[in-house]
Amino acid sequence: MKLKNIFRGFLIAPVIALLGVGFSSVQAQEESVLVEIQKRGVLKVGMSTFVPWAMRDKEGNLIGFEIDVATRVAEDMGVEVEFVPTQWSGIIPALLAKKFDIIIGGMSITPQRNLTVNFTRAYANSGQQMAANIELAGDKSTLEDFNSPDVTISCRRGATPCTIAQKMFPKAEIRRFDDDAQAFQEVVNGNATATISSAPKPRFWTDANPDKVFLPFEDQNLTRGNEAFALRKGDPDALNYFSNWILLRQDDGWLKETHDFWFKNQSAWIDMVSIDQ
Amino acid sequence: MDRNSPPPPLPRRRVTLVDLVLIGLVIGMIVYAVYRVNDVLVYHWNWERVLSFIIRFDEESGRWVANLLLQGMFTTLRLAVWATILATIIGVIMGYWRRCNNLTLRIISRTYVELIRNIPPIVFIFIFYFFISSQIFPLIGLSSLRYDSPYMDNDLFRFMFGNPRLFENFIAGMICLAVFEGAYITEIVRAGIQSIGKGQWEAGRAIGLSHFNILRDIILPQAIRKILPPLAGQFITLIKDSAMVSLISIQELTFLANEVAATTTKVFETWILVGAMYFVLCYFFAYVFAKLEQRGARANR
Repeated sequence: MKLKNIFRGFLIAPVIALLGVGFSSVQAQEESVLVEIQKRGVLKVGMSTFVPWAMRDKEGNLIGFEIDVATRVAEDMGVEVEFVPTQWSGIIPALLAKKFDIIIGGMSITPQRNLTVNFTRAYANSGQQMAANIELAGDKSTLEDFNSPDVTISCRRGATPCTIAQKMFPKAEIRRFDDDAQAFQEVVNGNATATISSAPKPRFWTDANPDKVFLPFEDQNLTRGNEAFALRKGDPDALNYFSNWILLRQDDGWLKETHDFWFKNQSAWIDMVSIDQ
Repeated sequence: MDRNSPPPPLPRRRVTLVDLVLIGLVIGMIVYAVYRVNDVLVYHWNWERVLSFIIRFDEESGRWVANLLLQGMFTTLRLAVWATILATIIGVIMGYWRRCNNLTLRIISRTYVELIRNIPPIVFIFIFYFFISSQIFPLIGLSSLRYDSPYMDNDLFRFMFGNPRLFENFIAGMICLAVFEGAYITEIVRAGIQSIGKGQWEAGRAIGLSHFNILRDIILPQAIRKILPPLAGQFITLIKDSAMVSLISIQELTFLANEVAATTTKVFETWILVGAMYFVLCYFFAYVFAKLEQRGARANR
């Protein structure tokens, strides 16, 4: 009798699971997200905290390059902007689950990501930079020096740096962390030889800890990234709109000007935030 | 306790040599641990920057206002309170279904409890967030709510649910936690109902009460008294469990702590501080519930 009950339980569970799958696959053909945004009067932007793309000022408000860009996009569309801070590792699933309309989060285009989401044309080219521990890597100056088993590279989980570290330094040990600050702290502590992160973060870190950390390749980036807005698939209207927005703001110099403000020199905005220097 | 047995001896209050030695050893170990941490970690401690994220002085209004971390703590508290209320409703219904005569209802409740209890909470949270909530919310019109309407943009709403703009986000986290904790409360309720003797059911039936009336007027009032202490414990567990929903970007204490840590690069200070905030919150409720229980026990005597 008891056993019978257990079997019944097992029968019910898959039925419920199937119902759920059926539920989610019933999705009507939809109009462009552009129409939805206009109707709602709000552009929902998915982003993740990442200095200086998006960060918190002393009042806890969001500021940064990304925030300026998204605010300007919304302004040009004639709608309000709403930011949805999201964990980086789950940002693409969240876009697909319609938690927001668009990712403006310094996401670089990769073929893998592009299979899941659509990208606009690039609005920034950041590239990855390396910061290394002086004591452990002071004598290393070429890329080949870092491709060795005694090198440990720390990086942010699920982000481009980890992929690059694996590709460029296959012999090195790679340790993944939930955020950049932890990955960088490992280098300062001497537990990792080097860390890779989007420029200009490594430079800012090095400025803050000049006695512990240095930039082995100066300002030369390891890669050249192409950051773009990400949208859900199957929406050519929105893709066209945002790509052309980028084109126009590139041509009138607004994007470059804004980019320079946040990336060239930390002293331009350091008073607004509570970053430790 | 048996009325005739002698009272137990009072616990010793005086500090003896043994106590002093033990306390000294504990302090010594803590000091050594701190010393080792400072030795191993090359780290510039800077508490000020992180503390300003708890509370800050607003120059414009000239007042102290809550900053991200304190706001996050309030969200965590709201999450825990609402989720416990919802989970209790789920738990009472499901707990009753576990014991009722209808086979289908028994299967449903059993499946619910076993499903939730036997998959890791994080997996459940991801499934719920990405598959279920994004289907249900547009369906019931939650994602098209106007947050600037007078129903939502008022002080009462802010007090109960926080920032109206984050309402959908809040509800997603709340339901997720409630469905998760509901399974555990179901078991608590079931145990509570089961603990009431069979004689009570029989007595109720003997005086001609219906099944529902027996449950409402005889069984539940007695069961609730037994359920309350474990329910209070579950509430405190839920405060801590709520940290998990930071993974689906619910703007509670742990998520905002992540933001603060990423912005300030002061990882250790942030997490130590946040740990202390959770401790204060949970210990406060544990203390309050213990006091209430004492009072309840006195009233029952």
